[in-house]
Amino acid sequence: MRTRDSNKEEIVKQKAIALLVEKGIEGFSMNRLAKESSISVATLYIYYSDKDDLIKKIGIEIGKNFFDEMAKDFSPSMSFKEGLYKQWENRIRFALSKPLEVSCWEVLTHSSYGEYILEKSLLDFKIIMGSFFKNSVEKKELIPISKETFWSVAYGPLYSLLRFERDGKNFGGGPFKLNKKTIDETFELVLKALTP
Amino acid sequence: METDFNNILIFGTNIKTEKEKQIISKLLNTNPAIEQWNIDLEDIDSVLRIESKSLHAQEIIKMITAEDFKCAELTE
Repeated sequence: MRTRDSNKEEIVKQKAIALLVEKGIEGFSMNRLAKESSISVATLYIYYSDKDDLIKKIGIEIGKNFFDEMAKDFSPSMSFKEGLYKQWENRIRFALSKPLEVSCWEVLTHSSYGEYILEKSLLDFKIIMGSFFKNSVEKKELIPISKETFWSVAYGPLYSLLRFERDGKNFGGGPFKLNKKTIDETFELVLKALTP
Repeated sequence: METDFNNILIFGTNIKTEKEKQIISKLLNTNPAIEQWNIDLEDIDSVLRIESKSLHAQEIIKMITAEDFKCAELTE
């Protein structure tokens, strides 16, 4: 009688994420994953029907975790400043605590699986953020701009800082460590750009 | 719905191409005892995965080898 071994499943998931980051989707194989997770190929195929199924499931799970983190202590009725700062905090926390998941998410969402994974995992989040955006414009706390412009200005600078942090250095190769002063300084500039 | 792990059978095969897959597709699609199946052509073992409440591994092996393919149950 086979039973679900959640411990083993978790190991497989973590190894799969690491392998996807290291090898990319093309280089990823179920056989390799089984070997690295010290389980048989048969066991792996009991959990996942094939590589396609595994990638989709892993992607959706990361997306859901990401969404849960983003939604923490956040409400679309918050003031624009408060809400956006909360989004920054949540994104920083997720990026720093789950760097491998973030890298894997980037690999998957920029692949042919991207659309499917985003649709399945981030739908609720999109609705919440859409209503935050709409409320903020209505309250005249945010200038009416396209979503793409909004995203680029609101989060682009944050992701640049997070990239420096991940690499431990800035663009010139000098050492970099993310701190609250840099975060707040950057946030204030972003706010200045987005508020009327 | 969660799949019952006890109803899953896993085989290594030498089915490598879409054309070869079509040959076994006819067999597996028309078998009412098979709830779901798929084959991973990308995998080195061309893993065939079958969900069935009633079929035994030997019966699947017989079906596949009758079409001149190799088929062996992979064990855990």
